Amino acid sequence: MVDLIYTVVSLIVIVPLALFLGVVYSFLLRKLSARFQWRVGPMLRMYGDLKPLLGTSRLLQPLYDILKLYGKETVVPDVSRRRLFVYSPYLSLIFAVAAIFFIPFPGMPLLSGVPYSLIIASYLLIASILFTILGPIASGSPWAAIGARREVELFLVSELGFVLSIFAIAIARQSLVIWELSKGAQSVYLALLTVTAGALMFAAVLGKLHIKPFDMPEAEAEIVAGPYTEYSGKLLGTYYLSKAFLLYGLVALFISLFLPPLATDVLWLPLYLIAAFVLVFLLTAVQVLNPRYRIRNAINWYLKVVIPLGLLSFIIALAIWLVV
Amino acid sequence: MKFESTPDIAEYVKKEIYPDGLEYVPLRENRVVVKVAPADLAKVADLFVKKFEARLIHATAVDLELKGFEVLHIYDFSKVKDRLVVVVKALVDKDSPEFPSIANITWQATWAEREMKELLGVKPSGMPDPRHQFLPHEWPNPVESGSVPEGYAFDGSTTTKEMYLPLRMPIEEAYQTLIPIGPYHPGVIEGQIVYVKVEGEQVVAADIKTGFHHRGIMKLIEQRGYNKGAFIAERVCGICSAAHGLAYITCTENLYDAEVPDRALYIRTLLVELNRMHSHLLWVGVVADVIGWKTGFMLTWGLRERVMDIIEAITGNRVNYGIWRMGGVSRDVPQELAEKAKRTVDDLRDECAKLLMLVADHPVVKSRLIGVGPLTKAQAYDGGAVGPVARASNWKIDVRADNPPHAVYDPKVISWEIITDDHCDTFGRTLVRVKELLVSCGIVSQCLEYLAKTTGEIRIKPKTVPLGAEAVGLNEAPRGELAYYIRASDKDSSLPHSIRIRTPSYRNNAIIPLMLVGSNLADVPVVMGSTDQCLACTDRLEIINERDGSRKSMTWDQLVNLSRRVSRW
Repeated sequence: MVDLIYTVVSLIVIVPLALFLGVVYSFLLRKLSARFQWRVGPMLRMYGDLKPLLGTSRLLQPLYDILKLYGKETVVPDVSRRRLFVYSPYLSLIFAVAAIFFIPFPGMPLLSGVPYSLIIASYLLIASILFTILGPIASGSPWAAIGARREVELFLVSELGFVLSIFAIAIARQSLVIWELSKGAQSVYLALLTVTAGALMFAAVLGKLHIKPFDMPEAEAEIVAGPYTEYSGKLLGTYYLSKAFLLYGLVALFISLFLPPLATDVLWLPLYLIAAFVLVFLLTAVQVLNPRYRIRNAINWYLKVVIPLGLLSFIIALAIWLVV
Repeated sequence: MKFESTPDIAEYVKKEIYPDGLEYVPLRENRVVVKVAPADLAKVADLFVKKFEARLIHATAVDLELKGFEVLHIYDFSKVKDRLVVVVKALVDKDSPEFPSIANITWQATWAEREMKELLGVKPSGMPDPRHQFLPHEWPNPVESGSVPEGYAFDGSTTTKEMYLPLRMPIEEAYQTLIPIGPYHPGVIEGQIVYVKVEGEQVVAADIKTGFHHRGIMKLIEQRGYNKGAFIAERVCGICSAAHGLAYITCTENLYDAEVPDRALYIRTLLVELNRMHSHLLWVGVVADVIGWKTGFMLTWGLRERVMDIIEAITGNRVNYGIWRMGGVSRDVPQELAEKAKRTVDDLRDECAKLLMLVADHPVVKSRLIGVGPLTKAQAYDGGAVGPVARASNWKIDVRADNPPHAVYDPKVISWEIITDDHCDTFGRTLVRVKELLVSCGIVSQCLEYLAKTTGEIRIKPKTVPLGAEAVGLNEAPRGELAYYIRASDKDSSLPHSIRIRTPSYRNNAIIPLMLVGSNLADVPVVMGSTDQCLACTDRLEIINERDGSRKSMTWDQLVNLSRRVSRW
């Protein structure tokens, strides 16, 4: 009974917490890339004379941007398929929020202990991204159509990496429950698998989050805003909100699968945050160091990296399962 | 320094190049006017282009009121004879202003003839492409020709939606496969439309429509005289303002028997090369931005800022320098400043070399640029590419060497080289610009060294411009060859009768469709950016059409009122 109450309470707590962390990660991404580019970026500590005007910190700047969109007019194009166009952002958000319920946070196992939680979480993440494709296709804009098409192509290859990576871990550890995977004892063989499957997952996350060089679905110089061209106001804000949750969810999933004990006990929280920041730093480094690929190059790159790494991970995972 | 002509150059043209002209008039600095009958224009073009491999610089027309229209074809003969430029003139009647089109002989005349036809009403007969280029987007098409593009059922009753027929395809097909890049698109800052017909992400056909920036710059100069003209000419383009200033001054100095002190010539070279440096840095940044590399954009623009600071220290201005005067420059560079600037430029050169080589070696950058927007040397020659676009196609063309402006580019005094590259694609254009930037650093450094060591006067008072004089002034702008033609008034010695500007982007934009076909949709902004297109330059070339101008113009007070009303909100 106590467990049930604790789970319910933590399910309620995790939503604002995940949003906050997602916003902080996006802040870090923006701040770090600004510093890499000789810019200032959003201010962590505001200049003294601007404090009365702008507040002491702009840590939540990405959230303010989203909130601003909620105050703007929402335009729905006449040529769009209205129902799909309007509901897609909300469905995307719902699936992203649902996904984070199955990913543990230090001190909060949430629903990650249920059977097959790994498969449920990965499907919910996929569904969230799927609705960022369906809505734009319904918008009737040629830019959105091209953007969505690119998104589908990118999604197919990056998803391959994602699935190969999580199943390599699952095979090696003989479990499909995230909570068990996130507790397990480390061994030398598992460390090796963590490196290969972790790299694979990192590459997949780049594609899922549209980190350069894989931001071609939203390439503004080529196709305006890509999938989001016709979205405005609340609908666009909802997409951005689901992106913040997605960022948190992917980082949390990465840590719970590949850095095992960090996502279990509340005492690990400082290390968990450090790991998350390091991961965001790595994402930023990739983001600032690379121009955008063409979609063809990106698929080639994924096939070159994903297939060998995926096969390698699987061989290691099978070896661990059969031998150890 | 005085600018001498080869003696008897008109005789040379008559004897060696074209003996059948009606009249031969030598202008200053090896420019020769050859008057011919209008019907002979095509014959002359054929002879010049095929036999002498002369290059058409510009084709234009001047309205001489009651006398008729004077059609001008300006050819570059610098490969035949040192600095020779031949201006072929034909007087056509106002009642029937017809003359043969030369666009079939040299494709480079296509845009120029369309422009003449649209804005002056002359009729080049036998034009390969009768559609309008510079008239407003909504203007009915085909203009006044009655000829119908293939595949389109034209019954004479166009609606506004069907007026412009890109790529000569039926309207139903256009709705399905035609993607308009522009007039306002995040990939290109200025207004133009590039229509691309796509199959998947593959571009199978492309067309370009310009005419969104009519400013009437040439008319402004015609009404304000030679001295104020220098300031207006600078404002043709915000990036290559020095190049425009120098080309204009070269042209006006060729109207009279000019003399310019050496120190002024060095200051001119200094500014033009600093201008080229910041323009090329800007270009690298823009291309980095277009391929999605914000970091490259920020870093190159950071370096550009330092070049701008040097310019500001020298002239007091960052964008329009305002130091160009007939007979010299208005502002000296003090010796201490020259020394200080030289140290900064030398530091900057090392940093630029490091950063830009990093950009050129980045694997993803390479994958985005190599093989994109191919342009062979033959295509570049036929299409009339100029500047870095032509040089990246391994065509050694540079006005600074062929037909130097009134500045110091003498290889005996200043060591510099023409950069060419045989990649023939966007990557080649990047390498050419990057290397040119370093060459410009070298030229700037040498100029500053001279200025730090010497003193002297910077301006000699200009003489009165003779009535009815004519001149051609050329300069190598960062984007390529820039040509000015000025005809002095017959009545007032302080006013030009007419002025014509041919900017480099005018040429390079015309060949963009050629480079686009076969590329990926993702590469369209890169290809468009690779010519470093400056649309404001291209369109400011035009005279405001009176019919259109009267309809859309707005007085200064109205604009001010409008801005106040907006700001009050």
